[in-house]
Amino acid sequence: MRQRLRTLFVLTAAVGLALVACNRGSGPALTVVIAEYSKDHTRAFWQNLAEQYTKQGGPKVDLRIIDWNSIDQQVSTMIQNNQPPDVLNLNSFSSYARDGLLYPADDVVSPNTRDDFLDAFARGGQYQGKLYGLPILSSARAFFYNRELFERAGIAAPPKTWDEFVETAKKVQALDAGIVGYALPLGPEEAQAEWSIWMWNGGGDWKAGDAWAINSEPNVRTLGFLADLANRHRVTQVNPGRTNRTDGAFQLFKDGKVGMVMGFSPLAKQLDAEGKVKYGVAEMPTTQPRAITLGVEDYLMAFKKKDNREAVKKFLDLYYQPDNITKWITAEGFLPVTKSGLERMRANAALTPYLDALPNARLVPTTDPAWDRVKLDVQQNIGLAVQPGGNPKEVLDQLQRNAVAAAAAR
Amino acid sequence: MRRAALSLAGIVLACVVLAPYVVMVLTALKPDAELRVTPPRIAPQTWRPSNFWDVVSDPAFADWLRVSLVVAGVSTVIVVLAAAPAAYYTARHRFPGRTAFLFVVLVTQMFSPTALVVGLYREFFELDLVNTYAALILTNAAFNLAFAIWILRAFFASIPREIEEAAAVDGCGRLGVLARVILPLSGPGLVTAVIFAFIAAWNEYIVALTLMTAPERKPLTVGITSYVTAYVQHWNHLFAASTLAIVPVVVLFALIERHLVGGLTAGSVK
Amino acid sequence: MRARRWRALLWLGPSLLLIAGVVFYPAVALVRSSLGRYSVTGLFQGSVGVANYARLLEQPALSTVLVNTATWVTAVVGVTVAVSLALAQLLHQDFPGRTLVRWALIVPWAASLIMTSKLFVWIYDYYFGVLNHLLTSVGVLSRPIDWLGDDATVMGAMIAVGIFVSLPFTTYVLLAGLAGIPGEVYEAARVDGASAWTTYRLVTLPLLQPALLVAVVLNVIYVFNSFPIVWTLNDRNPGFAHDTMITYMYKIAFKSALRDVGLAAALGVVNVALILLAVFAYLKTIRWDDGAPAAGRA
Repeated sequence: MRQRLRTLFVLTAAVGLALVACNRGSGPALTVVIAEYSKDHTRAFWQNLAEQYTKQGGPKVDLRIIDWNSIDQQVSTMIQNNQPPDVLNLNSFSSYARDGLLYPADDVVSPNTRDDFLDAFARGGQYQGKLYGLPILSSARAFFYNRELFERAGIAAPPKTWDEFVETAKKVQALDAGIVGYALPLGPEEAQAEWSIWMWNGGGDWKAGDAWAINSEPNVRTLGFLADLANRHRVTQVNPGRTNRTDGAFQLFKDGKVGMVMGFSPLAKQLDAEGKVKYGVAEMPTTQPRAITLGVEDYLMAFKKKDNREAVKKFLDLYYQPDNITKWITAEGFLPVTKSGLERMRANAALTPYLDALPNARLVPTTDPAWDRVKLDVQQNIGLAVQPGGNPKEVLDQLQRNAVAAAAAR
Repeated sequence: MRRAALSLAGIVLACVVLAPYVVMVLTALKPDAELRVTPPRIAPQTWRPSNFWDVVSDPAFADWLRVSLVVAGVSTVIVVLAAAPAAYYTARHRFPGRTAFLFVVLVTQMFSPTALVVGLYREFFELDLVNTYAALILTNAAFNLAFAIWILRAFFASIPREIEEAAAVDGCGRLGVLARVILPLSGPGLVTAVIFAFIAAWNEYIVALTLMTAPERKPLTVGITSYVTAYVQHWNHLFAASTLAIVPVVVLFALIERHLVGGLTAGSVK
Repeated sequence: MRARRWRALLWLGPSLLLIAGVVFYPAVALVRSSLGRYSVTGLFQGSVGVANYARLLEQPALSTVLVNTATWVTAVVGVTVAVSLALAQLLHQDFPGRTLVRWALIVPWAASLIMTSKLFVWIYDYYFGVLNHLLTSVGVLSRPIDWLGDDATVMGAMIAVGIFVSLPFTTYVLLAGLAGIPGEVYEAARVDGASAWTTYRLVTLPLLQPALLVAVVLNVIYVFNSFPIVWTLNDRNPGFAHDTMITYMYKIAFKSALRDVGLAAALGVVNVALILLAVFAYLKTIRWDDGAPAAGRA
């Protein structure tokens, strides 16, 4: 028995060592880092693309699919070790451009591809006049409401002004103990998105010209309005400053207990799949002449490394072929970033409200490298303003101070 | 009577300890539409055992399972192979540097893997070992060394020297004494060290996340998180996969658990 | 004497190799990082000496995080060890069903910390969580509690999970210790007429000392360094009000407006120093000097 145990030990150790020998990394490869949008589609598409690429004569692709929670850490680790990827998909780009790490678009995509980008998105990828962040996909927020709850509360149409909005929320909230009028997610996950929508529709903006204007008059009023929703009118879910979208606000809406929420096309897809909630999509309630919605674009960027320009160019051109890019964006449930893609996706009726909103969508200031810090600051702190006893003006003043400091630093 | 009271206490303990995991399994059996319901229901209305089948038949899951098994298994063996001699020698002999060695071993445990992960990545990148089994195996082995050395040492030290001397008289070399006499007598300690090292490696997350980025090289802990992303949430599949991930550990434990009972047998000195 | 040292190297060799390779190298890298300045992207921008350490001391959140960490470690380790002593005693007895109870106890340990943390986020949820549902239906609570969002309950909720996942490991270490105590000592105590409690206090506990040592020291280290529980349960709370030193370090590096890898590395080094101090203090207190415990010499 002991003899056998010893043999087993030795065998396993030998296997271990053999694995060490056999599994050394192989030759030159193109490192491609993609964020994991979904388990079902992201890996499948990009693995297929990588195989296509290699078959067409490109080098092997070291494909890394990383979930959103960890991708910042992973990328930072790679760069700290001077081992950036060749191609990176991320929701920000300007800090990398400022650090001189990226190829400008002219170097790595063909003129056809360049011209195919939708203007708003191409502008959203520029740093100091040059395009560095190539748009990879986009999404637009829309105003979702629960038709059944609206019927029960006797509401004929979705609200257009903020006063109507408060009235509607109160009526829905009053329906039952567990029902929420408006699900307001200002937790650290994506608070800047929710805040952007309300801020713009309240008449304010992130910046005035080139300078940060986070604590402008309209913004303080708007944040005060949100705080009132939570604490005075009490038409939100519990602790909105500590609720995230994905495991908070959206879940409540999917359960049919929420009257209104700011959603986007992936949420619509899930709602359709579950078939539990009858919902409608409308424009945001606004104080402005036209409702403004948030457009979000994610980027592909190419890192400057020795001798990788040709390989990267081939890869990017392969992705941007209309068939490929449209196939992926459709599978994930997002919106196009190219003119050719827009044409092809028009045929999908479910996307119409978002595609219509796209031209009027505003983007957050990702072109400013300071945005990376400002975004995190907002995520971490804006929820404090809507807590009982929170002070919207103070919170915005602090955010403004930090933004100005971030802009001045290096 | 006393045994009945003990059994009752045991049952209560088991229930308390298993309660959250029962919730997990029941959630794993729910269809998507029932996942978040107010007021919450503990058991599903529509039972969906196919969720488990979805996970098992997912080729990605098979990959993750394989990686976890290899990494945990091999690193556990390496831990025992490295720790046993070190523990034995430090238990039996005073030599210059003994305290220093034990101290160094302890200090290595104090470094949080979260803090070391960047350095680990650089090191393995330079050795061209990123995304390899070897990197994860060696890392897990090193991180679990302290515990193994300490517990084995405590056990070896409590074995009377007479037993070893008897074996030496019988003609065993030093290593032979360790393997044939000491290790078997340290059953509980050895079992604890093995379980500990295996579970620690099985459940390790942050280093695996950083070093294993190719989809087919991710262990279970990392792969499972893809069921719930910012845009799609399949909590039922996540919990089904988590339930399945617990099984190999419980099986291993069930196999070697009875050795936890063994202790010094009074008759061995005879 | 020299031969002894060489022989020692042979026996200690594999361990030393592993440690040097896997822990020492990254540890040095950590210290080097703490002396550098990094851009938001992670790009190294030059050395700044100990400036990061100085900036660390200026962080307004540091004192809160330190207090949180002290509370977290003391509560989790203290309660875990106390309860585990009792559980080990229970599982050491022979009773019908003992094997099944032992198997049950392994489950919280067998499940990864991330999984258990996510599970408890699920259970603690204000609207959808089982806990609120149970407590309100039974009447213990008149209204649901936002366990993870309410400042008053977050720490307690996290500590409960910390204790829950630490119990199996600690119990098994103590169980191994109990199993190593020869039956004769209990016989002798009984012959001397000692009561159960006195036996436990004066015979069992001292003989458990080596196992207790391992349990406490390692628990302190693991609980201090524990990332998944605090990170997952505290995920939706803004600011740093409930962070421990480890999650604070991670946030400094990647998730807060600071985004400063050098500062985080400095905190990483400070963390090691802190645990070192704590463990050292504990070891000094119990006077760990000699090698083998008394048990084998009886």
